[in-house]
Parts: sequence; C-alpha cells; structure tokens
Amino acid sequence: MSISEMNFFERMLYILDQYSGSFFRGAATTMVIALVCTFFGCVIGLLVGMLQAKEPDRKDNVVKRSLMHVVRFILTCYVEVFRGTPMMLQAAFIYYGASQVFHINLGMWSAALIIVSVNTGAYMAETVRGGILSVDPGQTEGARAIGMSYSSTMFHIVLPQAIRNIMPQIGNNLIINIKDTCVLSIIGTVELFFTFKSISGALYTYFEAATVTMAIYFVLTFTCSRILRYIETRMDGPANFDLATSDTLAFTSGLTKYNKNTGGSF
Amino acid sequence: MEKIIEVEHLVKTFGTNEVLKDISFDVEKGDVTSIIGASGSGKSTLLRCLNMLEEATSGKILYHGKNILNGEVNEDKLRTKVGMVFQSFNLFNNMNVLENCMIGQVNVLKRNKAEAKEKAMHYLSSVGMAQYVNAKPRQLSGGQKQRVAIARALAMDPEVLLFDEPTSALDPEMVGEVLDVMKELASTGMTMLVVTHEMAFARDVSNNVIYMYDGRIEEEGSPEKIFNNPGKERTQDFLSRFINK
Repeated sequence: MSISEMNFFERMLYILDQYSGSFFRGAATTMVIALVCTFFGCVIGLLVGMLQAKEPDRKDNVVKRSLMHVVRFILTCYVEVFRGTPMMLQAAFIYYGASQVFHINLGMWSAALIIVSVNTGAYMAETVRGGILSVDPGQTEGARAIGMSYSSTMFHIVLPQAIRNIMPQIGNNLIINIKDTCVLSIIGTVELFFTFKSISGALYTYFEAATVTMAIYFVLTFTCSRILRYIETRMDGPANFDLATSDTLAFTSGLTKYNKNTGGSF
Repeated sequence: MEKIIEVEHLVKTFGTNEVLKDISFDVEKGDVTSIIGASGSGKSTLLRCLNMLEEATSGKILYHGKNILNGEVNEDKLRTKVGMVFQSFNLFNNMNVLENCMIGQVNVLKRNKAEAKEKAMHYLSSVGMAQYVNAKPRQLSGGQKQRVAIARALAMDPEVLLFDEPTSALDPEMVGEVLDVMKELASTGMTMLVVTHEMAFARDVSNNVIYMYDGRIEEEGSPEKIFNNPGKERTQDFLSRFINK
C-alpha cells in the first residue's frame, strides 16, 4: 500500500514506524539542549540577578561604586537586548557572525548551547532579581542581626528562599526551552522540529507528521511540568508539625495511629 | 557597675524628618531597661541604632568605651555581642528550628557543629522548644517562633539583648509565654533593653524605665518613680491612658 492510499491513522502509524529512530534522536537532542541550557541559563541568571539586586553600599569607595555602575549598565544592556530580539535571529546572528567576522566555526552543538543558555539567562536574571526582592527583608535583618556578612546572608538565607519562590518560573523556562529549541533549525541543529521538517518534506504528509511531532512535544513538556511540581511539593514539606514522640503516654487524648517517620495522629 | 553602652547626644534623621533628637543614656551590666512611649516616638529606631541596623546621623554610641559610629568597632562583630529579637521574629524560613539556632554560631563564630548543636539545644530547652528542633518556622505559633528567636539570639552568647516590641505581633494568649521567658532571662542577670507596650513587664521586671516622647527621652528612672510618681505631665498622661485601658 502506497502512502497516498492510506488514511490519517495509517499514515501516522507509518511515520512512527519508519522514522521512530529520527524522532527519538530529535527528541533527545531537544531535551539535552533544553535541560543543559535551562541549567546554565539559571546559573547566568543567578549571577546577573544577584549583581542587579545588590544595593550600593555607602561605605564602598568611589572606584568600587563606579565600577558597579559600569557592570550594571552592561548587564542591563545584555538583559534588554536578549529579551527584546527573537531567538531565531540571535541564533543566526551569533552563528553566522562568528564564522564571518571572527572566522570561528562554532559547530552545531556549541552554537545551540551558547545561544539558548545566554537567552535563558537574560530572562532568568529578571526572575532572580524579582525572587530576591520577594524574600521578606526581615530575613536579611535577622541574619545581619546575628553578625552574618552580606554574602553569607545571601547564600544561606536569601537565595535558598528566592530559588524556592522562582521554581515555577524555572519550570516555565524549561518548557519554553523545549519548544523554542525549534528555532535552532535555522542553523541546522537536528532537533525535533528539524525531524518534522525532514519527514514532512520527504513524504508530503504535513498534517500527520505535525500531529505526531506535537504529541511528542506535549509528552516531553507535560512530563517535565509534573516532575517539577513534584519537586516543589517536596521542597515545601508538610504544613503541620507533629511532635515526633515515641512515648504513647504523651497521646492520652486518643492516639489512633503512630508512624515512626511522621509522628502520631489523632 | 561597669557601663556597657553609653549613648551621647544621638541624632537620627530620615531625610528632613528628625526621628531621634539628642538622646543620651547609659546601660550598665545586668540592667533591664524598658523603653516605653507612644508609636512613632522613636523607640524602635533608637534600638536599631544600637546594633547598627540603622546608621545614626550624629552623636556617639560607646560600646565598652569605643565609639561604634566611627568604624572603631567591626559591625558584624558588634552584632554578635549585641543581639536582637524582632517584633516579626525573622526566623529563617528555609531552615528548621535547630538550624536557625546553629547557623550564626557556625557561620559567624566558627564553632564546630557538635558544639553549636549542644549550645542550641541548651537554649532551646531553656525556652521550652527542645521538642520542636525539626519543625520549620511556618509550622509554629507566634509565641513559639518568638521563643525560638530568643534562643537563636542567646546561642550567640551576646552581652546585651535588644528586644523590639517582642510581644506586639502575638495573639493575647501567647504574650504570657514569651514574657515568662524574658523574666527568666532577666533573673539570670542578662543585660536587656526592651521596647515594649507591656506596662506590667516594664514595672515589675525592669530596673530602669525610659519614657520617650517625640524623639526625646522625656523621663528616665526606676519603675517605682516612673509608675508611681512621674515627674512630668506627659508621662502621667501616657501612663494614665494605659492604666485606664
């Protein structure tokens, strides 16, 4: 049976059967780029966001303060430019610019990883800044009042809480990255969207190939969002605290069950 | 007695607003000083100047004779010696009760973990919170949080403890448990400065009372004098409003 004689479902099954390897490689590439770049994007975002959230200290000398101004100006430019232009064009700009101006051939993988990381970093910088500002200033005062330095306060008290607060946004970025790696097809990265284009081009079955590819994208993003939601609930822990006592006499008002890990309940 | 803190002609302005106007007083070792006065009279700002959470505009604050306002004393080091308990507790939300009481000891005083834990447990027991070592702050009631906050401050072995309205954010039935801990602490000889609206505490526990009005110390003296025989009309007015309540 030739492909023109098949119905919609038969064509989808045919595509899956014939191109399962390509889909798998494409999906794997997409996931690797999305995960690695979200991670590095978060690292860039943390550094940039922290620098931007730091209030100038009146005790610093003039040189240090003006240096901070310059650094902050550069970082603001970075954030605004990378948030304000399409990633597809950034990919073309960096990939072709590197080879034409600096005669550097970045290669598909390094170009893809650099572009998506730097782009994610620009978004994350603002998110981290917001996350730091969202932490109650009382937390900083509490830490400073027992003599903790600015950096200790940041690393032990403020950042852990800020990261918890921005977890939903990190998840959001991961999902956006899974989908947005499709723009890398402009520089020839063989990810999931590139796979779709090759298949649909070879078989002229755009509708069926799009349906299959969309389904794969959805499975990837939905799985990731569920995993992240699970991690968030794990980070929060239970809302109530049960006194962990093994002394059943403490529960004179009627202990119904006792669990070694979670304590007793009534 | 040995003077720990001497405040001389302290002034603090926020922009053009002069919040503290020429404040002078001394704190001796073992003193329990209550600072009373209406809201906005500068009580909390005064307290926050003493551990440099606010930067004083002019005047002197001498800590063991050294002026802390001209850089003679390291800010972070001073704060380990002059502890603070806040109205809003400010326990670290990302840590459990035990970690809250250990982080300062390990990070600032460089004690080893075992020693820090022992000290933390000692003070948590003394405020009656030893069973809650694994609880997170959001799982505790206000009174419990404040008792942990006091243990956290004590674990740093401070010389002076500043209390900034420690019971003002608490439900009425929890005020007692925190005041009991503070009374206990006062009886051990800890030097304390307490900004409070609890007149019974000021009268019964402290040995020195400062009444503030509009950024100045209107009257200072023993609780007997301030409560039974106030010299100024404003002090009388203020106290009569509390007693009639």
